[in-house]
Amino acid sequence: MGDSEHPEKTGESVPDASWPENGDQWSDKGEEEDDDECGLLQEMVEEDEEIDLYNEETFGLDEATSGDNPDADPLDLLLLCSDNSSTPPPPQRSPSPRSSHSPSRPGSRVWPHTPTGRSQRGRAGRGQLFDDPAVVKTVEGRPSLKWMIAPLKSSRPPAASLLQDQAIVGVIDGSRHGRVPPVSPNFLSPMRPFSTSRGRRGLPFVGSFNQRCHYQAQKNPMVPCSPFRPQRLFSPQQQYNQPGGFLSPSRPPPLSIPMPDTHKLMHLQFGTDSPRPAPFYSPSSNTMQGFRAPGPVAQFHPQHERLLSQRHQRPHRCGQRPVSWDPYSQIMSDKEKEWIIRLQMIQLQSENPRLDDYYYQECYQRMEAKLAEEEFLGDRLKKEPPKLTTPYVNKTLSYIPVVHIEGSLGQVAVSTCFSPRRAIDAVHANTPDEHKYTRQQRLEVLSTIEKLYIVLLEVEEADKMKATVSDKDEERQLVQNIKRKVEHLYNELRCTNLLESGEEFLSCLIISKGKRMLARLLPFLSHDESLHILGVVTKHLPVLMSRDTDEALPVMYPSLRAVIDRLAFNQLIRILKEFTAALPDSKDTRLTLACQNKFGLSLLYALLSQGERILSSDLPMEPSTGDFEIWTDTVFHVARQLSQTILVEPLLLPSNLLTLFCRYLDKPTVHQLKNNLESATGFLAVAS
Amino acid sequence: MNYMPGTASLIEDIDKKHLVLLRDGRTLIGILRSIDQFANLVLHQTVERIHVGKKFGDIPRGIFVVRGENVVLLGEVDLDKECDQVLQRVSIEEILEEQRTEQQAKQESERLKLQAVKERGLSIPKADTLDDF
Repeated sequence: MGDSEHPEKTGESVPDASWPENGDQWSDKGEEEDDDECGLLQEMVEEDEEIDLYNEETFGLDEATSGDNPDADPLDLLLLCSDNSSTPPPPQRSPSPRSSHSPSRPGSRVWPHTPTGRSQRGRAGRGQLFDDPAVVKTVEGRPSLKWMIAPLKSSRPPAASLLQDQAIVGVIDGSRHGRVPPVSPNFLSPMRPFSTSRGRRGLPFVGSFNQRCHYQAQKNPMVPCSPFRPQRLFSPQQQYNQPGGFLSPSRPPPLSIPMPDTHKLMHLQFGTDSPRPAPFYSPSSNTMQGFRAPGPVAQFHPQHERLLSQRHQRPHRCGQRPVSWDPYSQIMSDKEKEWIIRLQMIQLQSENPRLDDYYYQECYQRMEAKLAEEEFLGDRLKKEPPKLTTPYVNKTLSYIPVVHIEGSLGQVAVSTCFSPRRAIDAVHANTPDEHKYTRQQRLEVLSTIEKLYIVLLEVEEADKMKATVSDKDEERQLVQNIKRKVEHLYNELRCTNLLESGEEFLSCLIISKGKRMLARLLPFLSHDESLHILGVVTKHLPVLMSRDTDEALPVMYPSLRAVIDRLAFNQLIRILKEFTAALPDSKDTRLTLACQNKFGLSLLYALLSQGERILSSDLPMEPSTGDFEIWTDTVFHVARQLSQTILVEPLLLPSNLLTLFCRYLDKPTVHQLKNNLESATGFLAVAS
Repeated sequence: MNYMPGTASLIEDIDKKHLVLLRDGRTLIGILRSIDQFANLVLHQTVERIHVGKKFGDIPRGIFVVRGENVVLLGEVDLDKECDQVLQRVSIEEILEEQRTEQQAKQESERLKLQAVKERGLSIPKADTLDDF
C-alpha cells in the first residue's frame, strides 16, 4: 500500500506477511491468530510511520531532532508485543520520555527487528493490547519501573501513596513507553473492518488527514488525541445519508489509525466533507421511535404529537445501529430509554398545566407570541422553539373507585395512584339504605359510647388502685373521682337518646357496645340507679330481645343478676309486674317472649329466684299492699307459661326455682314444669 | 427541537463523550453509556483529568458508575474543540506533583492567614467541613 509512495522504506524487516497484500485476510483471521494480530499492530505502526514520513516530506517539519534514537518511536507498539523477558534497550529508551510526544520520526527508518520473533510477539499480542490500558501497563511496567525513574531529569518519582493507585502507576509506565493515555484500544477492533475495506490508501485522503494532523502538530506536539474521536459519528447534528454498509468505493476511504499511538495524532477522524460510514442513527430520533404516551392518561400537546410523529418517520430510513463502530453502543436498550422517558413523563402529567406549571406555560406562550409576531413582520419561516415534551392531560378520565370482579366478594387488592382502593365504609350490614337517619343516629351514639369507654376504663383503673392505696386521703380522692366519673357516665348514657325520657338508655342498650358498657358500669352505680337500669331493661325487653342480633344481651346478665340479688321485695314485685303485663302493641307478654330468649328467661328465673329467696328467708317482711298477691299471681302465670311452651336453655337455672313452684303449684303442673325445665337445660332441676 | 423532561434529556447524550464534574471536585471524562431516572451515570473508558494551572494530566480509570446526586454538571465534549486545547498536557507524575505543590501552597497561605487572624484575637470557622448541603 504505502510502498509505492515511500520507496525509501527499505528497512522493512518485518517477518510478518507483507502487509498490503494480506489486508483482506486480517479481519477474517485476526480474531483467531495471534500472529496476525501482532501483524496488524505492526501494520498500524507502519502506517503511523508512513504518515509521519509523508508529513516530513510534504511539509518539511521535523519537530524532533532525534537522530540519535532511530528506533525510539517504533518500539512503542512492538515492545508491547515483545516478550517480557527481553530487556528493552536502555539507550534507545532513555530519551524516549522526552521525545515520545514528538509526532515526527527520525530520518532513517529502520524497522526494528525484535529479537523475540513472531511467536513471542504473538503471545503478548492483541489480548493485552486491547485490554484496559491501565491494567496492561501495570502488569508490564511494574518490574521495570525502577530503571525508568533513573534517566528522568526533571520529574521526581511519584510519592509512595500515588504508586498505590494502580491507574496512576499504569499511566506512569505508559508514559515511559512513550504512550500517552488514555488509550482506547477497543477502537482498534471496529477499525479493522474499515482498514480492510479501504483498499489502497489514496493520497488525497491521506493528505487531508495529514493536514489536520499537521495543524495539531504545529500547535502543540503534546496535544492529547482523543481516543473518542469516532464518536463524532454519533452526534445528531451531522447529516447521514447513506443507509447501512460501508463506504462506497468511489470515495476515498477513511483512514484507520492504531489507537495506542495517540501521541502521533492517530485517530479516526473525519472531516466534514468526507463520507460517513453509514449505519448512523440519531439516538434522539430513535428514542422517540417506539415511544408511546405513558399510559392512557397521557395526552400530548398537539404540537408535540406532530413533532413526535415527524421524528418517528425519520429514522425509518436508517438501518441498524452502527455496532461495528462502537461495540458498547447497545448497552442501554430502547426499552430502558423509553422507560426512563415514561417515568419522567408521568411525573409531569397534569390536568391543569396552567396551574401546575405556570411559569413554563407562560414563558412558552410569550415566546410563541413573539415568534408569531416576528413571523408576521419579517415573514420568514417559523422556527419552532424548543419545547419540553411533556404530556399534558387534557381531560380527566372517569374515576373508577374500585376494581370489582363480578362474583367476587371483596375488593381487588390493586391500587394505583389514579385508582386507589376505596376505604371500607363503616356501615352496618343489616341496615337498609332507607333508614339513613337511624344509621346516622346509631353512629353518633356509637361514637359517644366509645368516648365514654375511656372514662369507664379510668373508673375501673381507679377502683383497682383504691384497693392498693394505703393513704386515706388518696383513697378518698380516688373514691370521689370515681363517683364523679360514674355520675358523668350515667348521665351521658341516659341522655344519648334525644327522645322522651321513657326511652332512656335505650339507644345505647340497642348497641352491643352499649350493653357491655352498661354491664361494666352497673357495679359502680348506686342501688337506685342500677334499679332504674334494670327497670329500663325489663321494660324494653321485647325490643332488646328482638334487636339483639349480636346476642350481646347475655353480657348484661351477671351485672343484672347482682342487682337483682340486692332487690327488695317490693322492688322485685314492681319488676315482675312488667313481665306479666300485656304489651301495648302485641298480645304477647314479656313473659311469653322471654321464654324464647335466653337472656329473658334467665332474667325471669333470676327474679323468681330472688323472690323465693326473700320469701324463704326469715327476714321480716314489710307489710306491702298486694305485693304477695302479685307474687303468687306471677308465679302462677310463669308456671303456666313455662309448662306450656318449649323453653330455651337459660344462662343459669337457679336451684330454688323448683322449690318455689312446688310450693305454689299442684303436683302435675310441677311435674310438667320440671320436665320442661329439664328438657331445656338437660340437667335435673333438683329441688333444693 | 423538543427536549425531554428531567433525566430523559440525557438519553440523547448516550454513547457520547462527556465531561462530568463531581461534587468532590474531580473531573471525569468518559463515554456516557447508561443512565437512570436519578441521573446515575455509567461512564465508559473514563479518564480522570487533573487540572493545575494551565496543565493537566489524565489518569485512565476504566468504567465509572456515578451516583446521580454527586454530579455537579456534565456536558458533551466537542471532539473538534478538544483537540484545540490551550491547556498543556503533561505526564501524570508531573500533574500530581503540581497538584501537590499547589495544595501545599494553599495550605501554607491558609495557615498564615489563620495565624494572623489568631494573633488579632479573631476566629474564623472552617468552611471546608461544610461539604454537603
